[in-house]
Parts: sequence; C-alpha cells; structure tokens
Amino acid sequence: MKNIRNFSIIAHIDHGKSTLADRLIQTCGMVKDRQFKEQLLDNMDIERERGITIKSQTICLPYKAEDGKNYILNLVDTPGHVDFSYEVSRALNSCEGALLLIDASQGIEAQTLANLYLAMENDLEIIPVINKIDLPSADPETVALQIEEDLGLDSDLVQMCSAKTGEGVADILEAIVKILPPPEGDVNAPLQALIFDANYDPFRGTVISCRIINGRVKAGDRIIFMSNMAEYRVEEVGIFHLQRRPVKELQAGEVGYILAGIKTVSDTRPGDTITLKANPAAEQLPGFREIQQVVFSSIYPISTDEYENLATAMEKLKLNDAALTFQKDSSNALGFGFRCGFLGLLHLEVIQERLEREFDLPIILTVPSVCYHFYLQDGAMLEVDNPAHFPDPAGIDRTEEPFIKATILMPDRYMGTVMNLCMERRGENTNYHYPMPGRIELTCELPLAEVIYDFYDKLKSITQGYGSFDYELLDYRPSDLVKLDILVNGERVDALSQLVHRSNARARGLHACERLKEEIPRQMFKIAIQGAIGGTIISRTTISALRKDVTAKCYGGDISRKRKLLEKQKAGKKRMKTVGNVDIPQKAFLAVLKSEQT
Amino acid sequence: MGNTPGAGLYIHIPFCVSKCAYCAFNSFAPAGFDTSAYLQALHAQLLRLSRHPLVEKNIFSTIFIGGGTPTIYSARQLAGLVSIALDNFHFSYPVEITVEGNPDSIKQKSLYALRRAGVNRLSIGVQSFTDDLLASLGRIHNAAQAENAIKTARKAGFADINLDLMFGLPGQKLKEWRQTLETTCRYGPEHLAVYELTVEENTPFADLAAKGKLKLPHEEIVADMAELSQRILADAGYIRYEISNFARSGYECRHNINYWQNGSYLGLGAGAVSSIADIRISNTNDPADFNKQIMAGNDGFSGAEALCREKKFRETVIMGLRMVKGISLASLRKRFNLDPREYYGDTFRRLLDNNLLEIKDGGLRLPEQAMAVANQVLAELV
Repeated sequence: MKNIRNFSIIAHIDHGKSTLADRLIQTCGMVKDRQFKEQLLDNMDIERERGITIKSQTICLPYKAEDGKNYILNLVDTPGHVDFSYEVSRALNSCEGALLLIDASQGIEAQTLANLYLAMENDLEIIPVINKIDLPSADPETVALQIEEDLGLDSDLVQMCSAKTGEGVADILEAIVKILPPPEGDVNAPLQALIFDANYDPFRGTVISCRIINGRVKAGDRIIFMSNMAEYRVEEVGIFHLQRRPVKELQAGEVGYILAGIKTVSDTRPGDTITLKANPAAEQLPGFREIQQVVFSSIYPISTDEYENLATAMEKLKLNDAALTFQKDSSNALGFGFRCGFLGLLHLEVIQERLEREFDLPIILTVPSVCYHFYLQDGAMLEVDNPAHFPDPAGIDRTEEPFIKATILMPDRYMGTVMNLCMERRGENTNYHYPMPGRIELTCELPLAEVIYDFYDKLKSITQGYGSFDYELLDYRPSDLVKLDILVNGERVDALSQLVHRSNARARGLHACERLKEEIPRQMFKIAIQGAIGGTIISRTTISALRKDVTAKCYGGDISRKRKLLEKQKAGKKRMKTVGNVDIPQKAFLAVLKSEQT
Repeated sequence: MGNTPGAGLYIHIPFCVSKCAYCAFNSFAPAGFDTSAYLQALHAQLLRLSRHPLVEKNIFSTIFIGGGTPTIYSARQLAGLVSIALDNFHFSYPVEITVEGNPDSIKQKSLYALRRAGVNRLSIGVQSFTDDLLASLGRIHNAAQAENAIKTARKAGFADINLDLMFGLPGQKLKEWRQTLETTCRYGPEHLAVYELTVEENTPFADLAAKGKLKLPHEEIVADMAELSQRILADAGYIRYEISNFARSGYECRHNINYWQNGSYLGLGAGAVSSIADIRISNTNDPADFNKQIMAGNDGFSGAEALCREKKFRETVIMGLRMVKGISLASLRKRFNLDPREYYGDTFRRLLDNNLLEIKDGGLRLPEQAMAVANQVLAELV
C-alpha cells in the first residue's frame, strides 16, 4: 500500500485537465508516441469536440520514482462540469490527493474554487499545478500568489508545467509520490469498496469502477450493494491500464474494476458501498445519495415509426449512464416518446447528441422544465415536471419552484451587468465579496428554471468569457406559474408549451414567437405563431410564405450536382417534424428557451 | 416539341476572354492554353468516341457547341468541328445545331460561315441591356454591342436566335429588368433563357457574399422580377416551356429538352458530361490535362457514375418536372416499368392534395404556382 498513490486532477473547464492526463500517461510510458492521440481518456466524440469530460475514466500508471522504487499511480479522472458535481465528489472520495490545475493566464475560476472545496471536504492533500506556462499571456507568479493568499495553499508545493509541451510534467510525478500520502485501510477488515463510476461493456455487463477502502475482493466472491442489497457473484476483478487488465485480487488502497455480470446499471450507483455477503461490513461508506435529476424534457423520434428504435437506444444509453431516467410519454403533436430526467442541460445535450451520433436517430427534445410543486385546494401536492400535466389553475392553492444558490466568480468590472442579469432572472439575496483583489465572488439565489437554459451562455457573453459559474440546489420557494402555450397556424403544439412565472409570461411568449420565427423555415403558405395563456393570445409573429425556391439552370452537365443538392434538401426535411401542415425543425423546440446569441 | 428526340452531342469550349464574376462553369482564359492543341484534341475525341461501343448505336439529332465562349475560335474552326461531327456520327435529320457566342465576339462574316456549315441556331449571352449591371457582372460587352449582335445575326440569316438573360443581379432594380425585357421583346428572338442569378460556390460572387458585400435585391423583389418576366414574355407571345426557358411555338430547344427528358447525350471536351447507356461519365476538367490524355490515346474520362433503374427513374421525374408539360406517365412506364403514383405512395398523394403536383393529359407536372418553389416539390421526389 505504501507504493500506491490515488489522485484526481481537478480544474476549471479548459484549464487543460485532459491534456495533462494524456501527458502523464505518455510520460509513464503507457503509450508509444505514435499511438498518442489527443485526450486519451475522453473517448466519446462529444468529449473531444467540446473539450469536456463527461464520463470519468480511470487509469493505473506504473512509475519508477527518483528514489528507485516502483509506484502505482491511480489517476481517477473526473467530469468537468457543474452538472456532474456529485460524480466528481464520489471520484474525489476515492483518492488521497488531487492536482489542482490552474491556467497560468486565467488564474482562479469558479469551478477551481468549487472543486477545491469539494476536495477539501474529502480531506484530500492538494498539489497546486499552474498549467500553460508556455503561453505568452502566462503570468505564473501572480497565479502562485493567488494560490498562497487567496486559496491559502502552501506555495512551496506549487508545480509549474505546460501539459502541451511536457515541461514540468516529470516534476509533477515526483511531487505526487513525495507529497501525496499513500492510502490507508485494513486489508483484513470486511470489504468496503466505494463505487465511483460504472460503464457498460456489451459483452461483460456493467464495469464497476471502485476504490477498495477496506478488505479485499476476488473473482468468485459474492458481493452485495449496500444501498439496495442487490447481490451478485464477482466474475473478474482488475485494474485499468489503457485496456482493462484482470488481477487475482483487489485489496484495500487499490483502485480497479469489478465485473459481476450486472445487466441493470441502476444497481450500481456512484457513492454506494460494495461488501461481501459472507463477511459484510457493519456500515455503508458515508456520502451516498440518490442521483437527483433537475431538468426534464421529453424525447420524441421525428419519424413516429422510429419509436421502437428510440426505446432500444434509450435502454442502451441507460446502461452507461445511471443518471439518466426516463418513462413513456405521449404528445398530440409528436406521438409516443419518453419523458427524461437529466442532471442538467449539458447532460441533456449530451444525450441528444449521443442518440443522433451513436444511434443515428433524429429526435426532438421538448422545452426543458424543472420539477414544480403544486399544492391543490384539496390538500394534495402534485410534482409536475411536464407542462402537459399542469393542473387546472382553478384548483391550485399555491405553487413552489426549486431555487439554487449560484456562485459566480468574475473580474469586478462586470459586477453591474451580472447583477442585472441575476435580477432579470428573479434573483434573491445577492451577496458578494472579494476573494482576491480585482475579482468578485457573487452569490445569488435564483429559480432553477431561470438558469437551466441560457444563463451560463448569457453570463459568458456579458463577461466576455471571464465569468465562471457553479451552482447547488437549495430548496423550494413560493412561485406563481402559468402555462404558456404556442399555437402554430392555430394549432396548439403541446411539445412547445412551458411553465413560466406569471411576471415573465408576456416577455417569454414574445421571445418564443420570435425565436420560432427565426428557426422555422419559410414554407409555401403563411404561418402564424402565437403565444397563449389559457384562451388569451399574448404574442404573435408571422412567417411569410416562401415565394421562390427553384434551381434556375439545369442541363446535362449539372444533373448529378443538382440532384445531390436536392437530396441534401430532402435530408434536411427529414429532420423536421410536421405539425398540422407546418414543418418544424428539430432545433426549434429547444430554441424557444435560448437567447439569440446561442 | 418532338417526342423522343435522338441523342444530343455537346461540344465544350472551355475558354473565355475573361471570366465573369458569377460563373462556375469550366472555363479558363485562353492566354494560358494552347487553343489550337485543344481543337485538335476535340477532333481526336470526336473520332475516337464515334467508334466507341457505347456510342456507336446511338442516333443523334442535335449538336450544341457551348462554353465558355465558342466564338473565341474562328468560324472556319467551328465549322470544321461541325462537319467532323456530322460525318462521323449517325444523325436523324433535320439536325438542330446551336453555337453559343458572346456579343463582343460575334462578327457578321463569321456568322455567314457558320450558317454555311449548317449551324442553324445561335445563342447569344446578352444577360442584360443595362450597361452598369453588365460591368458589375464582369461581362466585357455593353448593351449596344448586344443589340448589334442580334441585328448582325439576323442579317446573317439566323432564324432561330436565343438570348440568355439574367435577373436578380446585384443592384438591379425592377425597372431595369423591365427595360431589359422590353428591349428583348423589340428584337423578337425566337427563344429566351431567363435565369435568376445563382451565387455558385468558388466564384468571386460567392466570396463577396461571404464577406457580406454582395448586395442582391431583396428576395421579394427577385420573386417580383420572375413574375414580371413571365407576364411580359407571355404578352409578347412567348411560351414558357421550362422553368427558365421561353420560346415561340415550334422553337423549343430540342437539345435541352433531351436533357430534361434525361435522354442520352455525349459530351465532348474538357469537363463535359455524357449520359449513355445508364452511365454518366465526366471528362477531365483541365484543358491541358484533357489534351494530354486524348493525345496519349485515352478516352479523356475522369469519372463515371452508374445509374441504377430507380435512381434514374427518380432523376427522370425531377428533370421532367422542370418542363411545363411535365413528363408522360406512359413514357415512364415504358422506360422504367414504374408508376410514380405507386412508387412515391403517400408522399405523392400529399403533393397532389396540396396542389403541388398535378396529372393532366397523361402527364405529371408542376402546377403553375408550384414552378417558383419547384425545389420544395423535387426534394420530396429525388
């Protein structure tokens, strides 16, 4: 155990976490240079393109240190987005230390702080690492000062590196060995293994990533998940090299995987404790909680006969994504689909992209919603996350909606505009302080519904990219909601309905109409788009009829090319949903909530 | 309009004295090329393909020498091409023989020579009778030269003249387009090709558009221009027989109708395309490469696409719908053993119900009001 180090890298988005991970892997000789492709651990296309980590991955690095001894360094990668902060905390819980990565030109950001606090809550030893020192705009000395003064970390520990060029990476490996403590734990105690992630392998079932806190586990053992007492027989245990490598036994202090022929990924919940049936641990490891979905939206196939395929695809995604929940749903406009719960909007967009890329399914997502509480006059409480289930307004006694505490870190010059943004979004109890000179940390209590769509985009744009954002759920607070319906050529499109605060209804109705006008292509007839509350029209726009769409020239030499253009046009049409006689493009359904710039 | 016209022979001259700002055709400034070598290569390809097993059995009924600007060659050189073609392919007479030319390169003497060689149709790239617009298009002629060219062609005895016109040009006003149409009608050509400007990729116009510097008229104005052309030309006795083509009765271009009927054609010269025996073949684009290939004894082809029955059927439908008369259901059945009503099923019924397609006199066609939005319909049928 003395030669093991379990660590994570925590960072604000874009501070170079995946690049550093790649470089550590490369420096430890895990891959030949020519096999090296960027961001080895981010193996979904979406992750590479967006430069974010969605599924965390783990890798075991063999390292021979300067003291001549061989070490095993387990790098537990963590997702890098506010939607996934629970997953991050579970991953951190399985480590003794963390590299706190900070961009040498950007300095400390909201997620740097949020992640640092998470790491501190988990009693992790922290090594601050200043990355991107090769950039012309790098100012490592100032950042080092911030680390000492603002974060209260020991600046003697600070490592400087450029993950891009590899400079300083060798020193980081030495620091991991010297500064981070080895794991503790009792090999002879009853098994307690902390689940921090699960992936699905179509041949072997669920691959549980876990940290053995106490005890040991091997193939053949009967194990129990302590949160739900589900029981399985272990088929294989092993460690993560670039591929999985089976070992005889995993022991206290080690990070590895367990295969137990598990087909229901919902049995493996991050944060849960695995123990042995024969010699169970007395108690579960602390910190487990049920995953909480905060954003809800329905997914429909564009073509109704793809419903079965969608159902299959959803089941497959679910295998790999314990945070996704769904149940059957139906809509007058869109037919059969699924009502889904997501950790946040990024999670929602990831699912949408995966359905399209991995399963080639064109889908429509309805306007996202949060979960509201309606207290009815008969004393009952209804939880409503779908505008379709909005109760009869006459029967509603009072309404509550979820609030969050937002933390926004930014240069102080943006304070005014950001405060205005928070006020516009019905923010309450705004506070601010200066964690460091020139920078403001603003905290504000906001309705989740006001944040789910474009708040982050808006914030980025008004702070020119310098504002960063993190949030946690607070509680439910009194609200006053109405249902905003959208009518397209007089026909109510239920998938475009949303629940909105009464004070915003008119503005939101107008916004929705205008956005739809931008997104719905002109068609061969005039289209009226109206926003309505109950029977009252509150906003209206018109899309004028298409007057021309014709290829002027088409002769012998053009036929193939013009045909391909028409085929492209046809493919575009297939991605639209016909409601009544109007073709509505897929992205219009989400655009209703988005602001213009995005 | 003859029913099944014979195959068409197209000869491409890929040279223009200067390239227009909107042009995406395969054309080059002649200065950088050996134009007489190219002419030799054309002769060689003509002879070679006339004996090609795929071509041999075809009976041709039209010749079209297009470009580029064919009239960069002398009348004698063009006449030479025509006579080699007539001597080496099977033709059914009368043969429609068209030569394209630009107003700046049309001389009376050479027109006589062309007439004598059997050329019976002249297509003039007028584009507009507004000088400023011609200049902004990068055309090297002006309106007066265009008018002279028409008069010259008449004097030379051409009784079948086509003018190419364009609308929706940057800065063009409805009034200017009306003047162009009125001037056109005064000269009374037999045939008119009236195109909306299309900004094609890889043209100077596309670059300007990408930079937001191409000031095209508003879409509504362009639609008005299209409607205005139809009104004025109908009043002047022209019959619209294809989306962009108008003719006096009996002067419809047989060569082009063959394209719209998706018939067989043979394209000679750099970048030209052939469609023979359900294969579509394109020739090497670059004139110098083309010369080299032909002189090395090759066919000069650079690509081919096989057209399976259903693909060719769909293509025949969408091409045929460009014509006002549409496409005969009987001929589709005969050629492909397919009926669009069954083949397209629900899509077809929906288009019929929404008056975006109609069946009339045994022909499937676009109703008049659907012509302007033809792509909306064709994209459902492609």
